[in-house]
Amino acid sequence: MTGLWQDCTSQLQHELPAQQYNTWIRPLLASENSQGQLVLSAPNRFVKDWVKDKYLQRIQEILSELNGGRITHVELAIGSAQPMFQVPSAARAEAPARPAPPPPAPDYGFAAPPTSAPEQGELLPDSAAVESTSVSTSVNTSTASSGRNKRGVQVEGGVRHQSFLNQDFTFSSFVEGKSNQLAHAAARQVADNAGGSYNPLFIYGGVGLGKTHLMHAVGNHLQSKNPNAKVLYVHSERFVQDMVKALQLGAINEFKRFYRGLDALLIDDIQFFAGKDRSQEEFFHTFNALLEGGQQMILTCDRYPKEIEGLEDRLKSRFGWGLTIGVEPPELETRVAILLKKAEQADMHLPDDAAFFIASKIRSNVRELEGALKRVRANAQFTGSEITLPFIKETLKDLLALQDKQVSVDNIQRIVAEYYKIKLADLLSKRRTRSIARPRQVAMALSKELTNHSLPEIGSAFGGRDHTTVLHACRKIKELQESNADIREDYKNLLRSLTT
Amino acid sequence: MAVMSSLAPAQLPLSIGIRDDARFANFHCGPNEHIVHALQQQWTTHGEPYLYVWGKSGVGCSHLLQAACHYAEGLGHHSIYLPLDELQHYGVETLDGMEQIPLVALDRIDAVAGHADWEQALFHLFNRIRDRQGHLLIAAQAAPNHIGVTLPDLCSRLSWGVVYGMTELDDVEKAKALQLRARRRGLDMTDEVARYVLTRGPREMQALFDLLERLDVASLSAQRKLTIPFVKSSMGW
Repeated sequence: MTGLWQDCTSQLQHELPAQQYNTWIRPLLASENSQGQLVLSAPNRFVKDWVKDKYLQRIQEILSELNGGRITHVELAIGSAQPMFQVPSAARAEAPARPAPPPPAPDYGFAAPPTSAPEQGELLPDSAAVESTSVSTSVNTSTASSGRNKRGVQVEGGVRHQSFLNQDFTFSSFVEGKSNQLAHAAARQVADNAGGSYNPLFIYGGVGLGKTHLMHAVGNHLQSKNPNAKVLYVHSERFVQDMVKALQLGAINEFKRFYRGLDALLIDDIQFFAGKDRSQEEFFHTFNALLEGGQQMILTCDRYPKEIEGLEDRLKSRFGWGLTIGVEPPELETRVAILLKKAEQADMHLPDDAAFFIASKIRSNVRELEGALKRVRANAQFTGSEITLPFIKETLKDLLALQDKQVSVDNIQRIVAEYYKIKLADLLSKRRTRSIARPRQVAMALSKELTNHSLPEIGSAFGGRDHTTVLHACRKIKELQESNADIREDYKNLLRSLTT
Repeated sequence: MAVMSSLAPAQLPLSIGIRDDARFANFHCGPNEHIVHALQQQWTTHGEPYLYVWGKSGVGCSHLLQAACHYAEGLGHHSIYLPLDELQHYGVETLDGMEQIPLVALDRIDAVAGHADWEQALFHLFNRIRDRQGHLLIAAQAAPNHIGVTLPDLCSRLSWGVVYGMTELDDVEKAKALQLRARRRGLDMTDEVARYVLTRGPREMQALFDLLERLDVASLSAQRKLTIPFVKSSMGW
């Protein structure tokens, strides 16, 4: 039947404009259901409906012509009959009889019903998992880190559990600094004493600061200590999707059994549970069950639990039962260390002055640092150049020009005035009351830190002040950051909003 | 060849899909050679699976994304090209399940920036593609931090791969691009004619290519070579 589909696509390729063919017909994956009927799987409902409206009739006509006039039934479905990665054909063959007509393999994230291709977190028959690994490798031979996300472990009963931990994210590859040392220490504690008093471990902070890395590091450590530990990393979206599918398929008990049977559950970005009441309800029960059973939970979020809008109070309160810890944007030294570490991992020589230069220019988060480093590496490979400071300046000049454009003195003045709820005109005025002078000093210090303007230029931009005034402001704010928590917090917040 | 009426392109309200002629071979790199190289390297061991290409309208971002899809298909990898400016009315569901395709090319992501539902859907798609170690190409008219994305989680991910800004071609390079495109169509365009077209014609590259298409049709029907007098009379200049 799939051979017939090949012939059909050849004909459609002649009939349709190439772009239509490539967009709508090419992504369809053909398979056969248990009744020998052709099943075409579209990646989503949108593509499926489009194909149904525009092409299905013609597809059936062609198939009928090719099949000697016999009518060929075609079923359109959503999902991947033969997932392009991790194809566990043995698992499908061993699966119990499917209800007829069976839909082709939507993704499930839990153990049952076993009608689908095993996906994230699913328990796979051993042989299937082995085969799926080999398929994955063959498909991804070009990918350097092929298969690193899909760690399978042997567990009781001869089935394999996939943790979806990224093996690159370990404690040894994590760069510890002032901004994340508490979170790092807490994660270490949890890794050595899972299910103990730091349960759940709730890590919160801005984007790209290493929350996910720490979470994976704990998971990897747990599995290295006990290769049979059932650890699962999921993004919150995945948990929600699984639950929705479980409800649709009447398989909520399997869903519960799977999630509650884990030794450690790591859920990333739980802020996306906000507003999803049914998922929260289910998560609440899963959470309680795991906690009662002494299984470790690690959660990450972009903010402190109490600040998550749209999340039930009982969940917020439970998140605080264990240890809640924040990560801050890395300071310069940590950024330099991160760059050097990443360069080492990528087998690339990055001189210290070059790392310092990139780190001093890109402050917002580690992802941007990594992006800049990748750009340098790609350009060095393309041009065959040695990585030096001048080369880096040339390679990143457009990126840095954009950053400079983004952080201008004008912009800093505007953001600071908004932050302190004062008028921009007051900030630039001669007024010296504390409520105006302090924000002005903060704005001056930020201008010195974030722009390349000289002290006289900055003074001039602040109502024609002398450069010594700017110098005094910078020193004062530095001093206050050490002694005054409010100023420290304000400065940090402003720095973040100006560089993100 | 039996062609059903419902297959007529006129009935499709969208132009979603990749142009058959949008190939790397049909693209004049000029100062953007390193970007084409990076796109071709995507499938090699040292290639970066996620690239973000930005540039003003007409600089060739869409062409490159489509060429990358053709290139992937040539290597046996399925791909899908999704121009989000055209797809935004169909809702975020359009992105569901796309991670199953080894290469997803999202064009004009800036068109949906600022829409909370799209931003969240793109964020989740990004994570799913990354989990599967899939390949992702994104094009927009500005750099990641300048397209108005409000979801920080998405914004940081957009800067995670290699970000390239396309450099606009100068007149000399535009003439070369025009000549390359003409040659690929079997037309001989001399330097003089190319310069003439550039002096009198539109400045934007896509508009120049459209003009070339009109000249191609005119030259074919008149059985004339592309000369300055012919171009002048055909275009009414």
